[in-house]
This record gives sequence, C-alpha cells and structure tokens, in this order.
Amino acid sequence: MGKLISFRLALAVPQLILVALVVFLMTYLVPGSPAAAILGTSANPERVAAVEAQLGLDQPFFTRLFTWFGSAIQGDLGNSYAVGRPVTDMLLERMPATLSLVFGGLVVAVLIGLTLGLLGGTRPGSTTDRVTTTITAITVAIPEFWLGIILLLVFSVQLGWVPVLAYTPIEVDPLRWAQGLILPSIALGVGSAALIARSMRTSMAETLSARWVDTLTATGMSRRRVIFRYGLKNALIPVLASTGLTVSILIGASFVVGQVFAFPGIGDLMLRSVIGKDFPVVQGGVLMIAVLVIVVNLVLDICYGLLNPKARPE
Amino acid sequence: MTTTTPNTSHETEASRADEPLLVVEDLAVEYESAGAVPWRRKVSRAIDGVSFEIFPGETLGLVGESGSGKSTTGRAILRLNDAAAGSIRFQGTEVTTLGRRTPLSYRRDVQAIFQDPNSSLNPRHVVGRCVDDTLRTHGVTDPGERRARAEQAFDQVGLSTDHMHRFPAELSGGQQQRVAIARALVLEPKLVVCDEAVSALDLSTQGQIINLLADLQAITGVSYLFIAHDLGIVRHISDRIAVMQRGHLVEIGEAEELFTNPQHAYTRKLLGASPASKPEGRDERRARREAFRQMHEAETQLA
Amino acid sequence: MTDTYSINLTRAPKPEKGTKSPSSAKRIFDRVRRQPLTVAAFFVIVFLALVAIFAPLIAPYDPNQSDYSTLLSGPTSAHWLGTNDLGQDELSRLLYGTRVALVVALGSVLIAAMLGVPIGLLLGYRGGWTDRLGSRLVDVAQALPGILVALAVIAILGRSLWTLMFAIGLIFTMGFARLTRAVTLTERHKLYVESAHVVGMKERVIIFRQVLPNLVGPIIIQAAVFFGSAIMIESGLSFLGVGLDRDTPTWGGMLSGAVEHQAQQPFLAFAPGIAIIITVLAFNLFGDGLNDAITGGVRKSPRKKLTTAELPGMSNAPTASAATLPGQTYSMGAQDAATAAPDATSPWDSRADEIRTPTGATETLPDPVEGAVLDVRGLSVSLERPEGDVVPLVSGANLSIEPGEIVGLLGESGSGKSMFAKAVMGLLPPRTRLSAGSIMFDGDQIAFQSQRALRAVRGAGIGVVFQDPLSALSPVHTVGKQLIEPLREHKGMSVAEAKERAVELLDRVGVTEARSRLDHYPHQFSGGMAQRVAIAMALAADPKLLIADEATSALDVTTQAQVLDLILDLRDEYGMGVLLITHDLGVVAETCDRAAIMYAGEIVEVGTTTDLFHAPRHPYTSALLAANPASDAQVDRLPTISGRVPLAGEWPVGCHFANRCAFATEACTSAPVPIVDQVRCVRADELTLEAVPR
Ligand SMILES: Nc1ncnc2c1ncn2[C@@H]1O[C@H](COP(=O)(O)OP(=O)(O)OP(=O)(O)O)[C@@H](O)[C@H]1O
Ligand code: SF4
Ligand SMILES: [Mg+2]
Repeated sequence: MGKLISFRLALAVPQLILVALVVFLMTYLVPGSPAAAILGTSANPERVAAVEAQLGLDQPFFTRLFTWFGSAIQGDLGNSYAVGRPVTDMLLERMPATLSLVFGGLVVAVLIGLTLGLLGGTRPGSTTDRVTTTITAITVAIPEFWLGIILLLVFSVQLGWVPVLAYTPIEVDPLRWAQGLILPSIALGVGSAALIARSMRTSMAETLSARWVDTLTATGMSRRRVIFRYGLKNALIPVLASTGLTVSILIGASFVVGQVFAFPGIGDLMLRSVIGKDFPVVQGGVLMIAVLVIVVNLVLDICYGLLNPKARPE
Repeated sequence: MTTTTPNTSHETEASRADEPLLVVEDLAVEYESAGAVPWRRKVSRAIDGVSFEIFPGETLGLVGESGSGKSTTGRAILRLNDAAAGSIRFQGTEVTTLGRRTPLSYRRDVQAIFQDPNSSLNPRHVVGRCVDDTLRTHGVTDPGERRARAEQAFDQVGLSTDHMHRFPAELSGGQQQRVAIARALVLEPKLVVCDEAVSALDLSTQGQIINLLADLQAITGVSYLFIAHDLGIVRHISDRIAVMQRGHLVEIGEAEELFTNPQHAYTRKLLGASPASKPEGRDERRARREAFRQMHEAETQLA
Repeated sequence: MTDTYSINLTRAPKPEKGTKSPSSAKRIFDRVRRQPLTVAAFFVIVFLALVAIFAPLIAPYDPNQSDYSTLLSGPTSAHWLGTNDLGQDELSRLLYGTRVALVVALGSVLIAAMLGVPIGLLLGYRGGWTDRLGSRLVDVAQALPGILVALAVIAILGRSLWTLMFAIGLIFTMGFARLTRAVTLTERHKLYVESAHVVGMKERVIIFRQVLPNLVGPIIIQAAVFFGSAIMIESGLSFLGVGLDRDTPTWGGMLSGAVEHQAQQPFLAFAPGIAIIITVLAFNLFGDGLNDAITGGVRKSPRKKLTTAELPGMSNAPTASAATLPGQTYSMGAQDAATAAPDATSPWDSRADEIRTPTGATETLPDPVEGAVLDVRGLSVSLERPEGDVVPLVSGANLSIEPGEIVGLLGESGSGKSMFAKAVMGLLPPRTRLSAGSIMFDGDQIAFQSQRALRAVRGAGIGVVFQDPLSALSPVHTVGKQLIEPLREHKGMSVAEAKERAVELLDRVGVTEARSRLDHYPHQFSGGMAQRVAIAMALAADPKLLIADEATSALDVTTQAQVLDLILDLRDEYGMGVLLITHDLGVVAETCDRAAIMYAGEIVEVGTTTDLFHAPRHPYTSALLAANPASDAQVDRLPTISGRVPLAGEWPVGCHFANRCAFATEACTSAPVPIVDQVRCVRADELTLEAVPR
C-alpha cells in the first residue's frame, strides 16, 4: 500500500512540474504585451515600459521562471488585470460550485452507467442488451448543455420551479444545495453515464466469457454469485482505468452546463477572462484545473492498484 | 497417404570435416524490465555462458523447458536481441559487434521461421508480397525476376501461384507456415533459425512441414537451428541436440547418443518425462518418475 | 532448379479457380454494406455534406437577413423553424450552421491526425527514453479537459475559424498520438515485424510499408468518433460565445440565443439540438460499424456453406416443428419430432434409441451403460451463426466412463473435443447449444436441464480443469478465496474449516507452503503450480468425474508428466472417472485406459488404449499413429496425412475423412457412415491397417 502510493506519487510530481512549466510558457505565447493589455491600447510607451518593469516582465527568462515557480508554490498566481484581485482568491471562491457540480455529475454518471452496463453486459445479445445499447448510443450523442437547456425549459419555464434551481453554497443550506444540484447534475452526468455504460458492458461481457468463469460455474456456484462476487471486480478494472478521462470530460462539460444553469463556477470565471483577455486568471485557471485532474488521477491510480493486483509495484 | 523418400539422411561425418558455419561462445543476453521506481530498470540475465557450433548442412536441435532461454539464443543469433557478453561468429565474422544496422549480407545468410505462422505474416498484405518485399530489400530490382523467383519459392514449398494472391487469414496454418518457409528460403540462406516452427500445427500438418524442411535441406545444404519443446520431433530432424536449462546449456551431443545415453540429470529428467509412443511399460515409467521424485525430495530435504 | 530435384511433396489444395481474393478495402466495403445501421449513418453523413455544400441554394433566406416584423416567432409557413430575436430565419441559419459544424470538425480532425499520428509512430517505434518521456507528456495533455485546452488556445490566439480548428484539433492530437503509439507498440513486437527485420528491411521501410497499413483501420475509426466529438465541442464553444462571432450562423450560437429568450420562445432550443444529435450519432454509428467491419475480418468462424435449406432434417420434418429453428428440428428423435416442445430446454426423451444426425442419417444409439459415472449417447452440438444458419459442431457422439476409469478424447484442433466437454458440463458458449443427446451422470439425466438443476450436479459431482491454468482462475482474487468459497457453499463448512480443507487440498496436489500461498494471486504462481491449484479447485467437491480439457498442453514436458502423474494418483485415491481431452497421442499412451478418437465433429473409433495403438480399426487412427513423430521407428520421412480437416459447416455427406483416406471408395462418400461396433468406417472389417508394433 505505502509502496503503491509512493510509486504513484513519484509519477505525479513530474507531471505537476511539467504542467506548471507549460502554463508559465503560455505567457510568452500571448501576442502583445500584458502591460498593454492592462493599460489599454491607448497607453503611451513609457507607461507601458514602467508597468512592465513593475511586473518584472523585463527580467531574463530564468529569473522570471524561478520567481513565477516560487510564488506559485506559495499559492500566489498573480493579480487579475481586470479587477486587480489575487487570482488564487478568485479561483478558490469559485471552486466549491465547480466541485459540487462535477461531483453531482459523477454520481449520476456512475450510478446510471454501471447499472445500464451491468444490465447489458451480463446478458450480451439479449433484448435488454439491445435496448440499453441503443439508449446509450443515442445518449452519447446528446450535448450536455442542450440537455440542460431542455431540462431547464421543462422545469423552470413550464413548471415554474425557478426558486429551487439556483446554486446555494453547501454551508448556507445543505438541502437547497442538493436541490439546486439535481438538474445540473443530471444534465452533466447522463452523457458520461452512457460512456461508462458502454465500457462496463463490453468489459463485463468479455469478463464473463473468460475461462475462469467456467471454472467457478463448474464448482456449482450460481451465476449471480459469479457475476457479483467475482465478475464485477474484474470488469471494473478497465472501467476504472477510463474514469480519469470521464472526470476530465465532466470538468470540461461543467463549464458549459454551468453557463446554462448560471453556476458561479470556475468555468464562468474562465470564460469572462478569455473574452476579456484577463490573462493571469486564464493561466491560473488552467493550472488549478490541471492540478485537480492530476490529483484525481493519482487517487484513481491508487484505487486501480488496489483493485488489480498485477498493477501493484513489486 | 504416406509419401516415399528421396535420400535425405544427413551425412554428419562429412559435415564435421568442414569449418563450422556458426560459432557461439559464452553468449549472454539480458532483458530489462520496469523497476521499483518509474525511472529504474531491472536487468536480468536470460541466458549466460552458452556455447555451441553449427556446421554447414547440419541441424542442431535446441530443447529445454519454457523460459530456459531457447528462443533468446535464437533471437540473439538473428540480432533481434543484443548480446550482453560473449561472441557469435558467422563464417568467421564477429556478429555481436556489428552495430545498429545489420549488413544485408548477414540478413541474406541467416533467416528465421517463427512459431505462430499467423502473426508472422503481415495481415494487410497478400502473402505473395512478403516474398516480393524480401527480394526487393535485397536489391532484386527487376519485377519480372522477383516474380519468377517468388513463384519458384512458392512451388518449392508446395504452394501454387494462386496462393500468392491470398491474405494470411485465407490460408490454413500449415499453408501459412509454408509461406513463412518460402520467405526464409527465397534468399538461399546458409542458416535458418526455426523457433518452434511446427509447434502451433496439428499432428498431420506437422509431419508435412518437417518433411519439407528436411527435403529443402537435402537440396540446398542449409543448416537449421531447430528450437522446439517436443522431443520426438527434435530427435527426428536433428543431427545433434543441445539441452538448455535455466539459461545455461547443460548438454550437447549426437541426437541418438543423447537419447540413448543422456549424461546430465536434467536431460534424463526431460527424457523420462516425455510421453512414449505406445502404452507398454507405462507403469514402470510412472514408478521410475515417482522414484526419481522421491530421491529429489530426499536430496532437497538433506540440503 | 526444380527439375533437378523432384520433391515428392504433399501439395496444398489449390484455391478455387477464378476466385481472386478481393482487396481488404473491398471486403470491408462488402461487410459494411451488410450493416443497415452503418449504411444509414453513411447516407446521413452524405446528406449533411450536401446540405453544407449547397446551403446557399436550399436556404430560403439569407441567414443574416433580419425581418423585424417577426421577432421570436414559432414555426410559421414563412419561417418553418421560426425566427430569432433579430428576426433571422432559423431554418436558414440551421442549414448554414451545418457548414461550420462540418468544416470545423473536418479541419480539426485533419490537424489532429497530422500532428498526432507522427508523434505516436515516433514514440511507439522508438521506445526507450523518447517513449517514456513523450508518453508522460501526451498522457498529461490528454488528461486535461478538452474545453479547457480550447479556452487556453483561444485566449492566446484570439477568435477565428483557424483558431477554432486548431484548438479543437489540439485536443484530439493526444488521442491520435496515444492510439498510434499503442497500435505501433503491439505491432512492433509482432512476428511479421521481426521477420521484416530478419530479412533486412530498413526501419523506415518497416514503419511505413509494414506497420502503417495496420494502423489505417484504427485511425479511420478513431477519426470518425472524433468527428462527432469535434461537432459537440464546437457547438459548446459557440454556445459559450468563444467560438465564431455571432454573425456566423452556428448551431451552438443558435442555442445560446435560444437560452436567452427561452421564456418568450421555448421552441428555438429544439431544432439546433436535434441537428447536433443526429450529426454526432451518424458519425458515431459509422465509426462503430466500420470498426466491426474491420475487426470482423480477423475473427474466424466456421465457414458458411451448409445452409439451413441443405440440412436434411428440415425438408422432411413435420410441419409443426418446421416453423421452429432448424437446429431444433433436425435433432429431435425422428419419432418425437411431432410431440417435442419447440424450446431448447425441452427434456430429451431418454427412451429414444435413435437420433437424426445433422447430415440426415438416422443413427441407432447404443444401449445405456449401467453403473457408468458418465454415459453420453447421441450428443450433438450446433452453432447458430449471426447470419441465421445453423452449423453442426458435434454430431452423434457416444461415450461412457466407468468409475475409476480414465478415458481419453483425442482429436486435432477444431474436431469438437472441447464442445463435447462443454456440452457435458452444460457450459456451452453463447450461440452454441445442445441439439440432441442423452447425458446420464451417475444415473441422472443432465441433458436439457435448467442451469439451477445443473448447479447441484456440478458442485457435487463434476470437476473441470482447463488448458491455460492462468486464465482458469480469476486474476484479481486470491486463490484462497476461490478455493474456500465453493467449499463453504457446497459443504456448508465454516470459514476456518474451509480454510483447513483448502490447505489440505493444495498440499495434496503438491503446492508447497500451501498455507501462505492462499493469499497469493494467480499470476504469482508458475504455470505448473497454477494448474495444480486449478486441480485442487476441481477436487474441492470430491467429484465423481473429472474433466481435463487439454489440462497439460500448455505445460512443459516435465511439468506435464508431473500433472499427469498427479491425475493418475488422484484417480487411484478417489476412484473417480476421468475424461482426458488431448491432442497428444503420448498422453493417451501414458495415462488412458480407453480412448475415443474424434475427427471433424464425430467420434470415429473407441477402444482400449492397447487396441487403439496395436490394432486400430479406423484409417484415421492408423494414420495418426503413423504420423506420430515420437514413434521409435527411425524413419527418414514422417508419414503424413495429406490435406486438412474439413471445417465445421464444410463436412461432406459421407465419411468426414473420405477426402484424406487412402482407402476411400464409392460407398464411403455416398451416404453418412454410422458408428457400428465402436468404429465409424464402412470398410472397418475388411481393412488391415498399420499399427504400432508391440
Ligand atoms: N464459442 C464458439 N462459438 C462458435 N463456434 C465455436 C466456438 N468455439 C469453437 N467453435 C467451433 O466449434 C468447432 C469445434 O471446436 P472445439 O473447440 O470443440 O474443438 P477442439 O477439438 O477442442 O479444438 P482444440 O484442439 O483447438 O481445442 C470448431 O469448428 C470451432 O470453430
Ligand atoms: S469410411 Fe471409407 S473413407 Fe471413411 S475411413 Fe472408412 S474407408 Fe476411409
Ligand atoms: Mg479445445
């Protein structure tokens, strides 16, 4: 266990450094000077130069790199051009909303996905299987935000449930927090549920055609027992291996779905910053999401090692 | 049903007089695998201190349990694995120090036939093309000549020109193996490494391929390094046999001599374990194995 | 060259005349054509492409032309899909939106393929440090949410069509790189690439001429799927307002307008959404269908030849059952056909004394064997292929096993040995099923029984051991768990008792340090040890019958001998019957009391081991013995059997061995050959066959 964790950590740290480096390099890719972006196009060259000096933009590459890394490690990602506040604060304020939404979406995706996948995968070729396969094939093609729009249309516009739909922070009122999450989570999670269902179906069907299933059946074990006590753990391995990707898809889609439901999440902030060319916020957002993804993958990798004895380091 | 014989007996005595074609001396090969931390690699020796010679026109059988390093030895000779120590000399030329690119002349002289005929042919190309590509690689630029030589090779292995336009999936295992043999022999090599060349085939097809290999040897004087786990087949085709155990060569000798008078304990165990061709005496054989086992157990207990 | 040496070779059969093998592209096309969904998806794609190209011609209005008299109207005769807040015609915008969707998707997938495939080729083929470092980078990049990457790119480069294509392309680049790397890695270690090395091809030639063609299929499939995703992402970005500017009609942009005004005109949200769904669905389905068509080419299944109409049982079957599946009709005992229930689980009438074989003959069954632990009569298995026809795999097999007897079942690959064993255990794979036969286990009929009824028999009476020991145990559970649980279930033992018993069993089959090894996973055992564990599992229930399907074929000779000796010891100790399935004559010689020889789905001869070796009565048996390379007779050439085993579905009407038999006559091919007095050969009594000298 300790070995497994340290092995995975040893892989994650270089990934973090790598991502940070790429994010830092983004500064160099922006056309035009950040100072000009802050001051507006009409500013005179002297003022631009002055602001550049103030921001340390006139320093050599490595000085800037180390300064940036140093402050990033301490949690300082610079200040927003647009509102002048620390980027870290702005992002952390919005983290709970984003995490709530992604968490809700994940719950929906996993619950529905595993159920549908199990239904089809345990009886490949049956009517149940054909029905679930058809459902998932169609669902995969539905854009999350469109589903959100339709849900909103039905529940808010037609049924007039507007009050329960707004996001409420969990510390304010846990019940309303949960209520506000229901529709967005469904909109967000259903597409990923279809992906999970498809992968679960394939993997379960494959698992159940393995030789050892025959061996266990031949000992007189019931099929239900073979499926749930043995098959499930085997079948979950490939599904778990792709869960990292699912989470990443959920985070991305939460930006768009969040817009539909007016969620005050990181997506909303990022969007404004991209449109308003508020570069430190974009940079900080990318870094923070990347760290989130790496941490999630780290946890999933450890779970994977626990589930699959062959993936444990010797 | 059975076919009659042209003379294919291998004249071992005569071949002995020649210089050896291939000399392997103290060969060692190492494999790398993932270590405890991502950037560490673990190195383990697959074979160590392996030495033998192969003479022109001779078949050397190589037997041993799985994982004993038979295939690794063959792959080192084919330069698919690098040697970690020792030397391989082909017609007097050192092979292990040749560098990254293997000279075409060596490639022409040393060929291979692998176990799984299905995966040793490119599934996306018709089988005629793999012989054609081989000739092209070796500088036969005239398409007419390539075609003629490919047809001749197919004919030699008992396939018709119609087979050349088929994909591997459309041929039976035995036919696929014939194509692999055609590819190996079209360059008229001096040595062919046959790595479990008939193991994946059915009994009735095995015999056909073994006979084919023997016939082609009688015609062209090619040498074989015949790697297999089936002692019956190895005994049938080999002039001499080498026995490997856990990366080491433990015994080498004339085929009949080795079968009738095995020297090394492992060779005896191997022979005692391989099933006989008729039921008579099986109770005695079983009793002998049991006695051998108990002796071995007693030994380990003492130690 | 060839005339100087005349080689007397058994020539491989010529392929049929005039059937030049079609190119692989053509075969894939043929297969795609037979998948209606894929064809439909293809036509939808073509339709969308036409709409995109001819949008200016078919659109009723200019998409940016505002009609302020009808703002936010629902569907009207002038505006079929209504108008937006600027009075622009939604239908026209929808049609023009197809352009953006397809162009951006096409552009981004092309960019991604052009960047990703070379990266993947490089990583996969180079290996080593390049690969370790490069794949880490690719992995991290792929783990990032696509929209995030796109937002970052748009933030840097600003908004334009090219930026959009590049931004989305960048997301898929990593996907292509990973796919290409993975395929290249597996291909690189395939024997055909090694063979290419051995013949001296240059690396460049190997990559581009040998490996790349194998990549085309997976890349195209992946591209089709990415196409759908690209359309989704593009619409998402347009919806967010960071795609193209608002003047350009896009589906996402239309939806964003619809959300703003959904209180006034809810209808606006539907058409663009449905357009996206249909487009994405079409590309996904097309990709899936293509995948099936391409990978389907590798899958091997019995040849299609014997069609349902040709199955003799069909034509003269009573009309009542002719309506049911042919596989079910031909197999019912002739006299029962009218009364038999049409479902597959209908109990076989064990009083029946003859069956109708798939080839149409009526075969008399042997008398039931009293006291046998297993008595199989007339067992037939058939396969129902996806095309709907039914192919017999095993036909009319009779075999009985006494307690304490080891009976071999010997045959070449594909002869139906495993199918026979699986039918006995009631573990037939999907699409295959028992079509006839009586299987008496210890006095009870177990053919055509429900799974529930079979469970009791299996758990308490029959143990199985398969060929590959590692795949016979669940890889993610300890062997302890897998041993203990059946003991608890069937013997009602407590955990502690079951554990003791498990240790005892492992000890008995020769697993050293049994107690500590209970906590080990299968992959921590060597092949021989894993097979011992599998045997221990089979023994857990004190079975009366042990079925070993090629249980030693994957093992080394030394390990094989040990495992066979173990089976012999266990038989002596427990007195169980053993069905030993093998393709190795030597295994039969060393272990079996009696053996059955199987050829192309039929048992052709049954006899004691001594008789089979020294007095074979079927030409195939004799030929097999002669071809055995282990024979002591030192001959220069191995006698061989020319030709090959006919595949299931290609069996001839008469003797299945006729085309390879040296003694074949007219009588052999004209009518099905019944098994008489344990031999299936019309000339059995008149022939003197070669045998192994005593
Ligand atoms: N799961 C399956 N679905 C459909 N057909 C199958 C399946 N498994 C085997 N077959 C077909 O059934 C026939 C008999 O196969 P079987 O596995 O019984 O042969 P076998 O004698 O055990 O061969 P081997 O020695 O290779 O194990 C073959 O034609 C094979 O192609
Ligand atoms: S029936 Fe005829 S063809 Fe078949 S084995 Fe007997 S002699 Fe040969
Ligand atoms: Mg089998």
